[in-house]
Amino acid sequence: MKLWNNNIYGSISWALKRKVTTKILRTSFLVLIILILGIATVVALDSDKANALDESDCLSCHSDPMLAKPIVGGGSIPLYVDGDEQSASAHRYIDCTTCHTTEPHSVETPLTKASLAEKCGSCHQYQYKLHLDSVHGEQLALGNPDVATCVDCHSENRSPHSIIRVLEHNATAYKKNIAATCAVCHGDGELMASYDITEKVYESYMRDFHGKAMELGGTELSQLNKATCTNCHGAHNIKSVNSEDSPVGTLEHLAATCEGCHEGAGEEFASGFLGHKQTSASTVPVAYYVEKFFIIMVWVIGVIAIGLVALAAIRYASQHRWKE
Amino acid sequence: MARTRIIVNGDGIESIVRFDKHQIAQHWLLIISEMMLLLTGLPQKFATWAASQWWINVLGGMENVRIVHRIGAYLMIALCVYHVIYLLYSILVLKRPFPKKMLPTRQDIVGFFQEMMYLVGWRKEEPKWDRFNWKEKFEYWSIAWGGPIMILSGFILMFPVFFTNMLPGWIVPTALVAHSWEAIIALIWIFVVHFFFVHFGPGVFPLNKSIFTGKVPVKLYKHEHPLEYERLIAQQKEEEGNDSGHTEDTLYREGEEEEDSLYSKK
Repeated sequence: MKLWNNNIYGSISWALKRKVTTKILRTSFLVLIILILGIATVVALDSDKANALDESDCLSCHSDPMLAKPIVGGGSIPLYVDGDEQSASAHRYIDCTTCHTTEPHSVETPLTKASLAEKCGSCHQYQYKLHLDSVHGEQLALGNPDVATCVDCHSENRSPHSIIRVLEHNATAYKKNIAATCAVCHGDGELMASYDITEKVYESYMRDFHGKAMELGGTELSQLNKATCTNCHGAHNIKSVNSEDSPVGTLEHLAATCEGCHEGAGEEFASGFLGHKQTSASTVPVAYYVEKFFIIMVWVIGVIAIGLVALAAIRYASQHRWKE
Repeated sequence: MARTRIIVNGDGIESIVRFDKHQIAQHWLLIISEMMLLLTGLPQKFATWAASQWWINVLGGMENVRIVHRIGAYLMIALCVYHVIYLLYSILVLKRPFPKKMLPTRQDIVGFFQEMMYLVGWRKEEPKWDRFNWKEKFEYWSIAWGGPIMILSGFILMFPVFFTNMLPGWIVPTALVAHSWEAIIALIWIFVVHFFFVHFGPGVFPLNKSIFTGKVPVKLYKHEHPLEYERLIAQQKEEEGNDSGHTEDTLYREGEEEEDSLYSKK
Protein backbone atom coordinates (compact mmCIF):
# COMPACT_ATOMS: atom_id res chain seq x y z
CA MET A 1 0.00 0.00 0.00
CA LYS A 2 1.17 3.44 -0.82
CA LEU A 3 1.24 5.35 2.40
CA TRP A 4 1.84 8.80 1.08
CA ASN A 5 1.30 10.25 -2.39
CA ASN A 6 3.68 12.66 -3.98
CA ASN A 7 1.22 15.52 -4.29
CA ILE A 8 -0.88 17.17 -1.63
CA TYR A 9 -4.22 16.26 -3.24
CA GLY A 10 -3.28 12.64 -3.25
CA SER A 11 -2.31 12.90 0.38
CA ILE A 12 -5.61 14.49 1.34
CA SER A 13 -7.70 11.99 -0.56
CA TRP A 14 -5.68 9.21 1.03
CA ALA A 15 -6.27 10.73 4.44
CA LEU A 16 -9.97 11.15 3.79
CA LYS A 17 -10.25 7.59 2.63
CA ARG A 18 -8.57 6.37 5.77
CA LYS A 19 -10.73 8.61 7.95
CA VAL A 20 -7.55 10.02 9.38
CA THR A 21 -8.66 13.62 8.89
CA THR A 22 -11.39 13.50 11.46
CA LYS A 23 -8.97 12.01 13.97
CA ILE A 24 -6.36 14.64 13.24
CA LEU A 25 -8.93 17.41 13.42
CA ARG A 26 -10.32 16.14 16.68
CA THR A 27 -6.86 15.83 18.23
CA SER A 28 -5.66 19.23 17.05
CA PHE A 29 -8.86 20.82 18.33
CA LEU A 30 -8.22 19.31 21.74
CA VAL A 31 -4.59 20.46 21.74
CA LEU A 32 -5.67 23.95 20.71
CA ILE A 33 -8.22 24.16 23.56
CA ILE A 34 -5.59 23.05 26.08
CA LEU A 35 -3.09 25.55 24.71
CA ILE A 36 -5.56 28.44 24.85
CA LEU A 37 -6.62 27.54 28.36
CA GLY A 38 -2.99 27.26 29.44
CA ILE A 39 -1.97 30.58 27.95
CA ALA A 40 -5.06 32.26 29.33
CA THR A 41 -4.24 30.94 32.81
CA VAL A 42 -0.66 32.18 32.61
CA VAL A 43 -1.76 35.57 31.34
CA ALA A 44 -4.49 35.81 33.96
CA LEU A 45 -2.10 34.87 36.77
CA ASP A 46 0.54 37.23 35.46
CA SER A 47 -1.81 40.17 35.08
CA ASP A 48 -3.12 39.61 38.56
CA LYS A 49 -0.71 42.20 39.83
CA ALA A 50 -1.75 43.24 43.27
CA ASN A 51 -2.48 46.90 43.09
CA ALA A 52 -1.51 48.94 46.07
CA LEU A 53 -4.36 49.84 48.32
CA ASP A 54 -5.42 53.35 47.39
CA GLU A 55 -8.81 53.93 48.92
CA SER A 56 -8.79 57.69 48.46
CA ASP A 57 -7.61 57.42 44.86
CA CYS A 58 -4.44 59.40 45.62
CA LEU A 59 -2.69 57.90 42.61
CA SER A 60 -5.08 59.54 40.21
CA CYS A 61 -3.02 62.70 40.76
CA HIS A 62 0.17 61.41 42.31
CA SER A 63 0.94 59.00 39.46
CA ASP A 64 1.89 62.05 37.41
CA PRO A 65 5.71 62.12 37.33
CA MET A 66 5.70 65.88 36.94
CA LEU A 67 3.68 66.53 40.06
CA ALA A 68 5.68 68.65 42.48
CA LYS A 69 5.15 71.23 45.16
CA PRO A 70 7.13 74.45 45.00
CA ILE A 71 8.92 75.49 48.15
CA VAL A 72 8.84 79.07 49.32
CA GLY A 73 12.63 79.44 49.37
CA GLY A 74 12.95 77.99 45.86
CA GLY A 75 13.09 74.46 44.51
CA SER A 76 10.35 71.94 44.78
CA ILE A 77 9.33 68.71 46.43
CA PRO A 78 8.46 65.91 44.03
CA LEU A 79 5.05 64.45 44.82
CA TYR A 80 5.16 61.61 42.35
CA VAL A 81 4.45 58.10 43.60
CA ASP A 82 5.42 55.17 41.39
CA GLY A 83 2.33 52.98 41.44
CA ASP A 84 4.18 49.86 40.25
CA GLU A 85 6.83 50.30 42.91
CA GLN A 86 4.23 50.83 45.59
CA SER A 87 2.31 47.76 44.39
CA ALA A 88 5.41 45.59 44.85
CA SER A 89 6.37 46.98 48.21
CA ALA A 90 5.87 45.49 51.63
CA HIS A 91 3.22 48.06 52.52
CA ARG A 92 1.08 47.66 49.41
CA TYR A 93 -2.00 46.77 51.45
CA ILE A 94 -1.66 49.70 53.79
CA ASP A 95 -3.60 52.67 52.58
CA CYS A 96 -1.78 55.93 51.83
CA THR A 97 -3.65 57.68 54.61
CA THR A 98 -2.20 55.36 57.25
CA CYS A 99 1.11 57.16 56.95
CA HIS A 100 0.11 60.38 55.28
CA THR A 101 -2.83 61.12 57.63
CA THR A 102 -6.38 61.64 56.47
CA GLU A 103 -5.50 65.26 55.73
CA PRO A 104 -2.30 64.72 53.73
CA HIS A 105 -2.47 68.09 52.04
CA SER A 106 -2.32 69.99 55.29
CA VAL A 107 0.84 68.22 56.50
CA GLU A 108 3.65 70.62 57.15
CA THR A 109 6.52 70.18 54.72
CA PRO A 110 9.30 69.59 53.99
CA LEU A 111 9.49 66.25 55.75
CA THR A 112 12.83 65.36 57.26
CA LYS A 113 14.73 62.14 57.84
CA ALA A 114 13.82 62.41 61.49
CA SER A 115 10.11 62.88 60.82
CA LEU A 116 10.17 59.97 58.37
CA ALA A 117 11.84 57.67 60.88
CA GLU A 118 9.38 58.77 63.50
CA LYS A 119 6.54 57.90 61.14
CA CYS A 120 7.92 54.39 60.59
CA GLY A 121 8.36 54.13 64.32
CA SER A 122 4.68 54.74 64.93
CA CYS A 123 4.16 51.11 63.92
CA HIS A 124 7.68 49.63 64.15
CA GLN A 125 8.14 50.85 67.69
CA TYR A 126 10.73 48.33 68.82
CA GLN A 127 13.05 48.93 65.87
CA TYR A 128 12.57 52.69 66.16
CA LYS A 129 13.53 52.64 69.82
CA LEU A 130 16.67 50.61 69.04
CA HIS A 131 17.54 52.95 66.21
CA LEU A 132 17.27 56.04 68.41
CA ASP A 133 19.85 54.44 70.67
CA SER A 134 22.18 53.53 67.82
CA VAL A 135 25.04 55.58 66.45
CA HIS A 136 22.87 56.43 63.46
CA GLY A 137 19.95 57.42 65.67
CA GLU A 138 22.10 59.59 67.94
CA GLN A 139 23.28 61.55 64.96
CA LEU A 140 19.75 61.71 63.59
CA ALA A 141 18.62 63.42 66.75
CA LEU A 142 21.38 65.97 66.19
CA GLY A 143 19.99 66.68 62.74
CA ASN A 144 22.82 65.08 60.80
CA PRO A 145 21.52 64.44 57.24
CA ASP A 146 24.15 61.78 56.44
CA VAL A 147 22.89 59.09 58.79
CA ALA A 148 21.13 55.94 57.81
CA THR A 149 17.47 55.81 58.76
CA CYS A 150 14.81 53.20 57.95
CA VAL A 151 14.53 53.89 54.23
CA ASP A 152 18.29 54.19 53.64
CA CYS A 153 18.74 50.52 54.41
CA HIS A 154 15.33 49.07 53.58
CA SER A 155 14.71 50.68 50.23
CA GLU A 156 16.73 50.68 47.08
CA ASN A 157 16.00 54.30 46.22
CA ARG A 158 15.51 55.59 49.75
CA SER A 159 11.80 55.83 49.18
CA PRO A 160 9.34 54.58 51.79
CA HIS A 161 7.13 53.49 48.88
CA SER A 162 9.57 50.84 47.66
CA ILE A 163 10.43 49.00 50.84
CA ILE A 164 10.74 45.27 50.25
CA ARG A 165 10.46 42.72 53.00
CA VAL A 166 13.74 41.46 54.40
CA LEU A 167 13.23 37.81 53.41
CA GLU A 168 12.75 38.55 49.73
CA HIS A 169 15.83 38.02 47.54
CA ASN A 170 15.70 41.49 46.05
CA ALA A 171 15.39 43.30 49.36
CA THR A 172 18.26 45.60 50.21
CA ALA A 173 18.22 44.13 53.70
CA TYR A 174 18.16 40.51 52.48
CA LYS A 175 21.16 38.83 54.08
CA LYS A 176 23.11 38.50 50.86
CA ASN A 177 22.61 42.20 50.04
CA ILE A 178 23.31 43.71 53.44
CA ALA A 179 27.01 44.35 52.88
CA ALA A 180 26.35 46.11 49.59
CA THR A 181 23.62 48.17 51.26
CA CYS A 182 25.95 49.29 54.05
CA ALA A 183 28.59 50.00 51.42
CA VAL A 184 26.36 52.61 49.78
CA CYS A 185 27.57 54.92 52.57
CA HIS A 186 30.44 52.99 54.15
CA GLY A 187 32.05 52.38 50.77
CA ASP A 188 32.05 56.10 50.05
CA GLY A 189 35.61 57.08 50.88
CA GLU A 190 35.00 60.80 51.05
CA LEU A 191 31.95 60.53 53.26
CA MET A 192 33.71 58.11 55.59
CA ALA A 193 36.84 60.23 55.73
CA SER A 194 34.73 63.06 57.15
CA TYR A 195 33.97 60.73 60.08
CA ASP A 196 37.59 59.53 60.38
CA ILE A 197 36.67 56.05 59.18
CA THR A 198 39.61 55.13 57.00
CA GLU A 199 39.22 51.36 56.77
CA LYS A 200 37.81 50.13 53.52
CA VAL A 201 35.23 48.07 55.34
CA TYR A 202 33.40 46.69 52.32
CA GLU A 203 36.48 45.63 50.36
CA SER A 204 38.07 44.08 53.41
CA TYR A 205 34.87 42.22 54.24
CA MET A 206 34.64 40.84 50.72
CA ARG A 207 38.30 39.75 50.94
CA ASP A 208 37.71 38.00 54.22
CA PHE A 209 36.36 34.50 54.87
CA HIS A 210 32.84 35.72 55.65
CA GLY A 211 32.52 37.96 52.62
CA LYS A 212 33.85 35.34 50.21
CA ALA A 213 31.54 32.69 51.60
CA MET A 214 28.64 35.11 51.29
CA GLU A 215 29.60 36.08 47.76
CA LEU A 216 29.88 32.45 46.67
CA GLY A 217 26.96 31.21 48.71
CA GLY A 218 24.24 31.65 46.11
CA THR A 219 21.03 33.37 47.11
CA GLU A 220 19.28 30.71 49.16
CA LEU A 221 19.06 31.57 52.82
CA SER A 222 20.29 28.08 53.74
CA GLN A 223 23.63 28.92 52.09
CA LEU A 224 23.88 32.32 53.73
CA ASN A 225 24.49 31.36 57.33
CA LYS A 226 27.67 33.45 57.27
CA ALA A 227 28.35 36.63 59.15
CA THR A 228 27.63 39.89 57.41
CA CYS A 229 28.00 43.45 58.75
CA THR A 230 24.95 43.34 60.99
CA ASN A 231 25.84 39.99 62.59
CA CYS A 232 28.86 41.51 64.31
CA HIS A 233 27.97 45.21 64.52
CA GLY A 234 24.26 44.97 65.18
CA ALA A 235 21.50 46.24 62.95
CA HIS A 236 18.98 48.73 64.31
CA ASN A 237 21.00 49.10 67.47
CA ILE A 238 24.36 49.49 65.75
CA LYS A 239 26.99 51.22 67.84
CA SER A 240 30.18 53.00 66.92
CA VAL A 241 33.15 50.63 67.14
CA ASN A 242 34.73 53.22 69.41
CA SER A 243 31.89 52.80 71.85
CA GLU A 244 32.19 50.54 74.88
CA ASP A 245 28.75 49.13 74.14
CA SER A 246 29.62 47.95 70.65
CA PRO A 247 29.70 44.15 70.27
CA VAL A 248 33.02 44.63 68.50
CA GLY A 249 34.24 47.63 70.52
CA THR A 250 36.76 45.85 72.71
CA LEU A 251 38.68 42.63 72.18
CA GLU A 252 36.63 41.09 74.94
CA HIS A 253 33.37 42.03 73.26
CA LEU A 254 34.70 40.98 69.89
CA ALA A 255 35.64 37.55 71.25
CA ALA A 256 32.16 37.15 72.70
CA THR A 257 30.69 38.13 69.33
CA CYS A 258 32.90 35.63 67.49
CA GLU A 259 31.80 32.98 69.91
CA GLY A 260 28.22 33.49 68.81
CA CYS A 261 29.14 31.36 65.80
CA HIS A 262 32.62 29.96 66.50
CA GLU A 263 32.07 27.88 69.58
CA GLY A 264 34.95 28.14 72.02
CA ALA A 265 36.60 31.09 70.30
CA GLY A 266 38.72 33.14 72.66
CA GLU A 267 40.44 36.49 72.53
CA GLU A 268 43.38 35.08 70.58
CA PHE A 269 40.92 33.91 67.93
CA ALA A 270 39.35 37.36 67.84
CA SER A 271 42.73 39.04 67.58
CA GLY A 272 43.33 37.13 64.36
CA PHE A 273 40.60 39.21 62.81
CA LEU A 274 42.20 42.23 61.27
CA GLY A 275 39.43 44.67 62.13
CA HIS A 276 38.86 45.58 58.47
CA LYS A 277 42.43 46.84 58.31
CA GLN A 278 44.68 46.11 55.40
CA THR A 279 47.43 43.73 56.52
CA SER A 280 50.42 45.89 57.18
CA ALA A 281 53.73 45.73 58.96
CA SER A 282 52.12 47.29 62.02
CA THR A 283 48.83 45.35 62.26
CA VAL A 284 49.78 41.73 61.67
CA PRO A 285 53.48 41.80 60.79
CA VAL A 286 53.87 38.04 60.36
CA ALA A 287 50.96 37.68 57.96
CA TYR A 288 52.15 40.80 56.15
CA TYR A 289 55.71 39.60 55.63
CA VAL A 290 54.64 36.04 54.85
CA GLU A 291 52.36 37.38 52.14
CA LYS A 292 55.14 39.61 50.80
CA PHE A 293 57.46 36.60 50.73
CA PHE A 294 54.96 34.44 48.89
CA ILE A 295 54.12 37.12 46.37
CA ILE A 296 57.81 37.52 45.60
CA MET A 297 58.04 33.74 45.29
CA VAL A 298 55.08 33.67 42.90
CA TRP A 299 56.82 36.25 40.74
CA VAL A 300 60.17 34.46 40.87
CA ILE A 301 58.66 31.07 40.07
CA GLY A 302 56.35 32.57 37.46
CA VAL A 303 59.16 34.37 35.65
CA ILE A 304 61.43 31.32 35.79
CA ALA A 305 58.66 29.01 34.61
CA ILE A 306 57.53 31.13 31.72
CA GLY A 307 61.07 32.11 30.79
CA LEU A 308 62.18 28.49 30.81
CA VAL A 309 59.31 27.32 28.65
CA ALA A 310 59.67 30.25 26.25
CA LEU A 311 63.40 29.65 25.84
CA ALA A 312 62.90 25.92 25.39
CA ALA A 313 60.08 26.40 22.89
CA ILE A 314 62.21 28.75 20.79
CA ARG A 315 65.28 26.52 20.98
CA TYR A 316 63.42 23.29 20.19
CA ALA A 317 61.60 24.94 17.32
CA SER A 318 64.79 26.44 15.89
CA GLN A 319 66.38 23.00 15.91
CA HIS A 320 63.23 21.44 14.39
CA ARG A 321 63.24 18.97 17.20
CA TRP A 322 59.47 18.45 17.19
CA LYS A 323 59.78 17.13 13.65
CA GLU A 324 62.24 14.40 14.55
CA MET B 1 69.46 0.25 39.98
CA ALA B 2 68.75 -3.29 39.29
CA ARG B 3 65.03 -2.85 39.17
CA THR B 4 64.92 -1.02 35.88
CA ARG B 5 64.84 -3.40 32.97
CA ILE B 6 64.23 -3.40 29.27
CA ILE B 7 61.09 -5.10 28.09
CA VAL B 8 59.40 -5.45 24.75
CA ASN B 9 55.79 -4.37 24.43
CA GLY B 10 53.16 -6.26 22.50
CA ASP B 11 53.44 -3.73 19.70
CA GLY B 12 57.14 -4.39 19.36
CA ILE B 13 58.32 -1.10 20.86
CA GLU B 14 61.17 -1.56 23.26
CA SER B 15 60.52 0.12 26.58
CA ILE B 16 62.30 0.50 29.84
CA VAL B 17 60.39 0.07 33.08
CA ARG B 18 60.81 3.29 35.03
CA PHE B 19 58.01 3.29 37.62
CA ASP B 20 56.54 0.50 39.70
CA LYS B 21 52.84 0.15 40.39
CA HIS B 22 53.07 2.03 43.69
CA GLN B 23 54.64 5.01 42.00
CA ILE B 24 51.96 4.94 39.32
CA ALA B 25 49.24 4.79 41.98
CA GLN B 26 50.86 7.67 43.85
CA HIS B 27 50.93 9.84 40.76
CA TRP B 28 47.25 9.09 40.07
CA LEU B 29 46.38 10.01 43.64
CA LEU B 30 48.36 13.21 43.27
CA ILE B 31 46.54 14.14 40.05
CA ILE B 32 43.10 13.42 41.48
CA SER B 33 43.61 15.15 44.81
CA GLU B 34 45.39 18.11 43.25
CA MET B 35 42.65 18.64 40.68
CA MET B 36 39.95 18.38 43.34
CA LEU B 37 41.79 20.94 45.45
CA LEU B 38 42.49 23.35 42.61
CA LEU B 39 38.97 23.20 41.21
CA THR B 40 37.46 23.94 44.58
CA GLY B 41 40.21 26.17 45.98
CA LEU B 42 40.81 28.59 43.13
CA PRO B 43 37.22 29.88 42.99
CA GLN B 44 37.52 30.59 46.70
CA LYS B 45 40.70 32.59 46.18
CA PHE B 46 39.22 34.51 43.26
CA ALA B 47 35.74 34.83 44.73
CA THR B 48 34.82 38.00 42.87
CA TRP B 49 35.29 36.49 39.41
CA ALA B 50 32.10 35.69 37.55
CA ALA B 51 33.66 32.39 36.46
CA SER B 52 34.25 31.40 40.09
CA GLN B 53 30.67 32.15 41.01
CA TRP B 54 29.39 30.25 38.01
CA TRP B 55 31.58 27.25 38.78
CA ILE B 56 30.63 27.15 42.45
CA ASN B 57 27.01 27.27 41.40
CA VAL B 58 27.64 24.31 39.09
CA LEU B 59 29.12 22.38 42.00
CA GLY B 60 26.01 23.05 44.04
CA GLY B 61 27.03 25.93 46.24
CA MET B 62 29.72 26.95 48.64
CA GLU B 63 29.00 24.31 51.26
CA ASN B 64 29.50 21.49 48.76
CA VAL B 65 32.70 23.08 47.54
CA ARG B 66 34.10 23.19 51.05
CA ILE B 67 33.31 19.50 51.54
CA VAL B 68 34.94 18.51 48.25
CA HIS B 69 38.00 20.60 49.12
CA ARG B 70 38.36 18.75 52.39
CA ILE B 71 37.94 15.34 50.75
CA GLY B 72 40.68 16.34 48.29
CA ALA B 73 42.88 17.44 51.18
CA TYR B 74 42.47 14.19 53.08
CA LEU B 75 43.18 12.29 49.87
CA MET B 76 46.42 14.21 49.42
CA ILE B 77 47.39 13.62 53.04
CA ALA B 78 46.69 9.91 52.51
CA LEU B 79 48.95 10.03 49.48
CA CYS B 80 51.77 11.59 51.51
CA VAL B 81 51.40 8.91 54.16
CA TYR B 82 51.31 6.24 51.45
CA HIS B 83 54.51 7.60 49.94
CA VAL B 84 56.37 7.69 53.25
CA ILE B 85 55.25 4.16 54.12
CA TYR B 86 56.21 2.99 50.64
CA LEU B 87 59.66 4.54 51.04
CA LEU B 88 60.24 3.11 54.51
CA TYR B 89 58.91 -0.30 53.52
CA SER B 90 61.10 -0.60 50.46
CA ILE B 91 64.19 0.56 52.33
CA LEU B 92 63.74 -1.12 55.70
CA VAL B 93 61.80 -4.27 54.86
CA LEU B 94 62.72 -5.01 51.28
CA LYS B 95 66.27 -3.77 51.92
CA ARG B 96 66.30 -1.85 48.70
CA PRO B 97 69.06 0.72 48.42
CA PHE B 98 68.18 4.16 49.72
CA PRO B 99 66.94 6.12 46.67
CA LYS B 100 69.87 8.51 46.82
CA LYS B 101 69.43 9.35 43.14
CA MET B 102 66.58 11.64 44.18
CA LEU B 103 68.89 13.72 46.39
CA PRO B 104 70.11 16.99 44.87
CA THR B 105 73.79 16.89 43.93
CA ARG B 106 76.38 19.25 42.54
CA GLN B 107 75.76 17.66 39.16
CA ASP B 108 72.23 19.10 39.18
CA ILE B 109 73.54 22.64 39.46
CA VAL B 110 76.09 22.01 36.73
CA GLY B 111 73.41 20.39 34.59
CA PHE B 112 71.03 23.25 35.22
CA PHE B 113 73.54 25.78 33.91
CA GLN B 114 74.44 23.53 31.00
CA GLU B 115 70.76 23.30 30.10
CA MET B 116 70.38 27.07 30.30
CA MET B 117 73.42 27.45 28.05
CA TYR B 118 71.85 24.99 25.63
CA LEU B 119 68.51 26.80 25.68
CA VAL B 120 70.06 30.19 24.91
CA GLY B 121 72.21 28.62 22.23
CA TRP B 122 75.66 28.78 23.81
CA ARG B 123 75.96 25.03 23.92
CA LYS B 124 75.28 22.50 21.21
CA GLU B 125 74.11 19.62 23.37
CA GLU B 126 71.78 19.16 26.25
CA PRO B 127 73.33 17.98 29.49
CA LYS B 128 73.31 14.24 30.10
CA TRP B 129 71.11 13.23 33.00
CA ASP B 130 71.14 10.18 35.19
CA ARG B 131 67.88 8.79 36.63
CA PHE B 132 66.39 12.19 37.51
CA ASN B 133 66.99 15.58 35.94
CA TRP B 134 66.92 18.79 37.95
CA LYS B 135 63.29 19.49 37.11
CA GLU B 136 62.16 16.09 38.30
CA LYS B 137 64.08 16.51 41.54
CA PHE B 138 62.77 20.02 42.00
CA GLU B 139 59.18 18.87 41.54
CA TYR B 140 59.63 15.99 43.96
CA TRP B 141 61.15 18.18 46.66
CA SER B 142 58.57 20.90 46.01
CA ILE B 143 55.96 18.55 47.35
CA ALA B 144 58.22 17.77 50.27
CA TRP B 145 58.28 21.42 51.40
CA GLY B 146 55.03 22.59 49.84
CA GLY B 147 52.96 19.71 51.18
CA PRO B 148 53.62 20.42 54.86
CA ILE B 149 52.92 24.13 54.30
CA MET B 150 49.60 23.34 52.65
CA ILE B 151 48.59 20.68 55.15
CA LEU B 152 49.49 22.73 58.22
CA SER B 153 47.96 25.99 57.00
CA GLY B 154 44.92 24.09 55.75
CA PHE B 155 44.33 22.57 59.15
CA ILE B 156 44.73 25.99 60.79
CA LEU B 157 42.05 27.34 58.46
CA MET B 158 39.86 24.31 59.07
CA PHE B 159 40.09 24.48 62.88
CA PRO B 160 40.87 28.13 63.69
CA VAL B 161 39.36 27.96 67.17
CA PHE B 162 41.42 24.91 68.12
CA PHE B 163 44.67 26.43 66.88
CA THR B 164 44.15 29.89 68.37
CA ASN B 165 43.60 28.29 71.77
CA MET B 166 47.26 27.29 71.61
CA LEU B 167 48.84 29.73 69.18
CA PRO B 168 48.58 33.50 68.70
CA GLY B 169 45.69 34.88 66.65
CA TRP B 170 47.82 36.11 63.73
CA ILE B 171 48.39 32.47 62.81
CA VAL B 172 45.02 32.41 61.00
CA PRO B 173 45.56 35.30 58.53
CA THR B 174 49.13 34.05 58.06
CA ALA B 175 47.91 30.55 57.26
CA LEU B 176 45.46 32.02 54.77
CA VAL B 177 48.08 33.91 52.77
CA ALA B 178 50.52 31.00 52.90
CA HIS B 179 47.85 28.50 51.84
CA SER B 180 46.52 30.44 48.90
CA TRP B 181 49.83 31.69 47.51
CA GLU B 182 51.65 28.39 47.88
CA ALA B 183 48.84 26.87 45.83
CA ILE B 184 49.43 29.43 43.10
CA ILE B 185 53.13 28.60 43.04
CA ALA B 186 52.34 24.90 42.63
CA LEU B 187 49.76 25.70 39.97
CA ILE B 188 52.20 27.77 37.93
CA TRP B 189 54.93 25.17 38.05
CA ILE B 190 52.69 22.22 37.20
CA PHE B 191 50.75 23.87 34.43
CA VAL B 192 53.69 25.64 32.84
CA VAL B 193 56.97 23.77 33.42
CA HIS B 194 55.78 20.26 34.22
CA PHE B 195 53.24 20.12 31.39
CA PHE B 196 55.57 21.65 28.84
CA PHE B 197 58.69 19.61 29.49
CA VAL B 198 56.96 16.34 30.33
CA HIS B 199 54.10 16.32 27.84
CA PHE B 200 54.69 18.88 25.12
CA GLY B 201 58.41 18.44 24.58
CA PRO B 202 59.90 16.91 21.43
CA GLY B 203 59.30 13.18 21.21
CA VAL B 204 56.49 13.07 23.75
CA PHE B 205 53.81 15.48 22.52
CA PRO B 206 50.87 15.35 23.15
CA LEU B 207 50.98 13.07 26.20
CA ASN B 208 53.75 11.24 27.96
CA LYS B 209 52.14 8.05 29.15
CA SER B 210 55.10 6.70 31.09
CA ILE B 211 53.79 7.65 34.55
CA PHE B 212 50.56 5.81 33.76
CA THR B 213 52.07 2.70 32.20
CA GLY B 214 55.35 2.71 34.10
CA LYS B 215 57.27 2.24 30.87
CA VAL B 216 59.32 4.67 28.79
CA PRO B 217 60.18 3.94 25.16
CA VAL B 218 63.89 3.18 24.80
CA LYS B 219 64.41 5.97 22.29
CA LEU B 220 63.00 8.52 24.71
CA TYR B 221 64.87 7.08 27.66
CA LYS B 222 68.13 7.27 25.73
CA HIS B 223 67.46 10.91 25.11
CA GLU B 224 66.14 11.96 28.53
CA HIS B 225 68.29 9.89 30.84
CA PRO B 226 71.35 8.91 28.77
CA LEU B 227 73.66 8.16 31.71
CA GLU B 228 71.20 5.80 33.30
CA TYR B 229 70.38 4.25 29.96
CA GLU B 230 74.01 3.41 29.26
CA ARG B 231 74.41 1.89 32.68
CA LEU B 232 71.25 -0.15 32.21
CA ILE B 233 72.41 -1.52 28.90
CA ALA B 234 75.74 -2.47 30.39
CA GLN B 235 73.97 -4.11 33.29
CA GLN B 236 71.56 -5.93 31.02
CA LYS B 237 74.42 -7.35 28.97
CA GLU B 238 76.23 -8.44 32.06
CA GLU B 239 73.14 -10.17 33.40
CA GLU B 240 72.50 -11.92 30.13
CA GLY B 241 76.11 -13.05 30.21
CA ASN B 242 75.70 -14.43 33.71
CA ASP B 243 72.31 -15.81 32.73
CA SER B 244 71.07 -14.99 36.18
CA GLY B 245 68.43 -12.42 35.21
CA HIS B 246 67.26 -12.30 38.77
CA THR B 247 68.43 -9.82 41.29
CA GLU B 248 68.02 -9.51 45.02
CA ASP B 249 65.06 -7.24 44.39
CA THR B 250 62.18 -9.62 45.09
CA LEU B 251 59.20 -7.25 45.15
CA TYR B 252 59.95 -5.71 41.87
CA ARG B 253 60.81 -8.96 40.15
CA GLU B 254 57.39 -10.35 41.04
CA GLY B 255 55.65 -7.34 39.57
CA GLU B 256 57.77 -7.58 36.48
CA GLU B 257 56.97 -11.21 35.93
CA GLU B 258 53.29 -10.38 36.06
CA GLU B 259 53.82 -7.79 33.41
CA ASP B 260 55.86 -10.13 31.26
CA SER B 261 53.16 -12.75 31.35
CA LEU B 262 50.60 -10.10 30.47
CA TYR B 263 52.47 -9.20 27.35
CA SER B 264 53.09 -12.78 26.33
CA LYS B 265 49.35 -13.42 26.49
CA LYS B 266 48.82 -10.69 23.96
